[in-house]
Amino acid sequence: MRLTELSGRKSSAMQFFYYIVLSIFSINSTGAARRSPINGTWIRMGMMMDEKMQGDQGPPTCHTLPGLSPGQIRLCQLYMDHMNAVALGARQALSECKHQFENRRWNCSLLNDVNVFGPVITIASRESAFAHALASAGVSYAVSRACRDGQLASCGCSRMGRPKDLRKDWVWGGCGDNLEYGYKFTQNFVDVREKERKFKRGSKEQGRNLMNLHNNEAGRRAVIKKSKVTCKCHGVSGSCSLITCWQQLATFREIGDYLRDKYDGATEVRINRRGRLQLRDTRFRVPTAYDLVYMEDSPNYCIRDERVGSLGTQGRTCNRTSQDLDGCNLLCCGRGYNTLKSTIKERCHCKFKWCCEVECKTCVRSVDVHTCK
Amino acid sequence: MPGTILENLSGRKLSVLVAILFFSQLGCFLVGLIAPKPANSQGILATVCHNNKTAAKDMNYWVTRNCERIDLNHVEPGLTADDIVFVLQMPLSPEMDFSRWQQNLVGILQFDLLYQKGLNPVDFIVELTIDARLAFSDKKRTGGRTPWTYYAHSEEKRYMDCNIDLKNIKDPEGYPYNCSMVPLFELGSLYHDYYLLNIRLPYNEQQMKNVDLRKIQDVYLHLIHMNGGFTQVWVSLKTFFFPIIIGIMVWFWRRVHLLSRTPALLEYMLISLGGTLAFLDLPLEYLTLWFEMPYMLLLSDIRQGIFYAMLLSFWLVFAGEHMLIQDNGEKNSIKLYWKHLSTIVTGCLSLLVFDLCERGIQLVNPFYSIWVTPVGTNLALSFIILAGISASMYFIFLCYMIWRVFKNISIKRSVLPSMSQARRLHYEGIIYRFNFLMLATVICAAVTVISFILSQVAEGQNKWDENMELELSSALHTGVYGMWNVYICAMLMLYAPSHKQWPAEPICTEGEEVEFSRLPTDPTPNEISSLTSFASKASIE
Repeated sequence: MRLTELSGRKSSAMQFFYYIVLSIFSINSTGAARRSPINGTWIRMGMMMDEKMQGDQGPPTCHTLPGLSPGQIRLCQLYMDHMNAVALGARQALSECKHQFENRRWNCSLLNDVNVFGPVITIASRESAFAHALASAGVSYAVSRACRDGQLASCGCSRMGRPKDLRKDWVWGGCGDNLEYGYKFTQNFVDVREKERKFKRGSKEQGRNLMNLHNNEAGRRAVIKKSKVTCKCHGVSGSCSLITCWQQLATFREIGDYLRDKYDGATEVRINRRGRLQLRDTRFRVPTAYDLVYMEDSPNYCIRDERVGSLGTQGRTCNRTSQDLDGCNLLCCGRGYNTLKSTIKERCHCKFKWCCEVECKTCVRSVDVHTCK
Repeated sequence: MPGTILENLSGRKLSVLVAILFFSQLGCFLVGLIAPKPANSQGILATVCHNNKTAAKDMNYWVTRNCERIDLNHVEPGLTADDIVFVLQMPLSPEMDFSRWQQNLVGILQFDLLYQKGLNPVDFIVELTIDARLAFSDKKRTGGRTPWTYYAHSEEKRYMDCNIDLKNIKDPEGYPYNCSMVPLFELGSLYHDYYLLNIRLPYNEQQMKNVDLRKIQDVYLHLIHMNGGFTQVWVSLKTFFFPIIIGIMVWFWRRVHLLSRTPALLEYMLISLGGTLAFLDLPLEYLTLWFEMPYMLLLSDIRQGIFYAMLLSFWLVFAGEHMLIQDNGEKNSIKLYWKHLSTIVTGCLSLLVFDLCERGIQLVNPFYSIWVTPVGTNLALSFIILAGISASMYFIFLCYMIWRVFKNISIKRSVLPSMSQARRLHYEGIIYRFNFLMLATVICAAVTVISFILSQVAEGQNKWDENMELELSSALHTGVYGMWNVYICAMLMLYAPSHKQWPAEPICTEGEEVEFSRLPTDPTPNEISSLTSFASKASIE
């Protein structure tokens, strides 16, 4: 999905008219949403414990898995063995989100509600864009990895959606890459919920759907983008007359870093009458499929506001010397900070012994801990 | 004196022949389009299992994937390196089994090492000590599998370069190092249905085993195998060409023997070139379906090597024989070319020695690699450099000879207007056809080089285009293979002696006789080409 259309100038009267029409529609469709509530987000699967996924009573059925939409339940029934990987991917995404936003005003705080992130994710903000992309990347990553682990029956060789085997894909020649499989599965599994409900063209809900789809795609593509291609020559005398290349999965940390950069450079878009996303400010570059897009400004995360899901920054530790986002100045939103002297013991001058031993000395260091007022 | 078919064939027949050759070439290319790509890879994540130290002393102790697993991120205290075994079951999916059409198997290890704070240098080389054991199993006819059986075992050293770019990473904790791949094994025959690899990384400070190793997150094994579909297409191509080339060789040799003279050097070269091509085309791959032939890789290397050596020698002699200078009347022999041919012999021999060192020893130990020890690396490099030097020497020789041929032709061409019209037309035709064949050679060589580059580029890129079902790289391979077959068939056919006794009868209706064999100082009647006789004549004139 690409944003191909750039906005054209309209008269202000027309804009006003559309604004009214738009708001009427949005009121209508929030009403519709209230009538058939989506049971939160599937990312909740990441908060399930391992025991629940592999309980004594066998794996949970698709209806007991939290947050799945009807389409996702159908896919779950088809690919039951993938659900472990999905849950793992979601969990990985959540912990990565926490890591990436450790020192920001919004610290990816997980709330114990159906939306995992609280009401934050219902706002079409940058944070929501990042969360969608990261979750989609997490599933794509986990499924690709589970493929290489031999956990999934349908991956490995036969492609999705093709008649089974096809003479084993002509003795394996047609075997796709695991990365590709992860990408395709995620495309079906994550995107299906955005395609289940049709909204009026140009409505805010449709815009949100398009935004989610775009960000999901960006997340999946991040997994591919960060993977490394490695080749091996195996021709005559080991020459490169025959060469085979494969994709090497990056670690999820690298993907998280990449998506965080995309978060910082996310583009604001809006939905136009024809039901396409377009740039809000035409001076910016048109986002590619690798970029994140958002539609609304983020709420103020400085102050605690349960309604939007902001926890506020009070009590957060900050870095006094940093001029960056984790600096006390920015993180505490100008409210100032308290300083606490403390000594910490930490491991230093370590020597690693394969497999599992780290020989370290203990160093004692006194540090100042700053917390926001 | 009889000429070659190339000189006697009428333009119409020649064009028909060229068309046939062109279409068979096109056919080879199209056949490649339906085949899957030549080789494929499969990435397998190692299962980290608990190792029974005492049982592991027995070479027939195998740990399979149904084992007591270890999570390397959360290890229990007291776990040592000896307690860990990495288990890799091949192929990945238990529903699949290797097919013998897949020919061979290459295994490459990838270690994901993690950066830990306060611990690691940024850039280092790990000397790995890998205890690798390989077992096989087959499907039973009655269903089920045979138990794992010992195949090979070795403790190998490997070097791995690792680095991390800390400049662009804010928080490197938990970041992976960028480590080079570790080639592990090469199986010349994929005879069994299932393979099992157990890898142990022993730790020993005294013997310096794995002392530089860091925290391992994952171990992957990347398998490369030929694709069965491609092998089938390839072998059928060979099966198709083999009888044809044998038939053409028999026909060619019969023609040569019909003559009242002993065969000329170029004819010997041609028949041996045909012979090496027939050897290359011999579909020995069928045998691998029934017998375990680990030497297949080596054999196919040798077959290709012999063919290329012969092809290169043929070009040299071909250029030399068309030098248009007959020093004296004596019969040319291969000895004249010893200087030039020695470059080919040196190059091929050094490659052969290198190949024997690597793939020869792999027959005994599939984990062997010449590149591990410094001595081996130097040896291998020196052989490859020697081969490279000989190759460049060869090409200098060849280019010089071809340049001289063309220079001679252009000199002789200036003499042409002083000849009678019929003779001139005929000679021009010969020169034209000679140039045509030279051009064909150059085109063949260029196409080979370009297609190899293309297949590398195509493989190196990632295609995420769903509609791209066609596999170009195998088409390029079959196309090039077919091209050399077609080229050599054409050579054998066009340079076969003509049965037309045309010099005895007038070539033109005007009654003007072209005197080829009636040169006043015609030397021994053994030149095979009237072009060379033309040259002699011209030099006399």
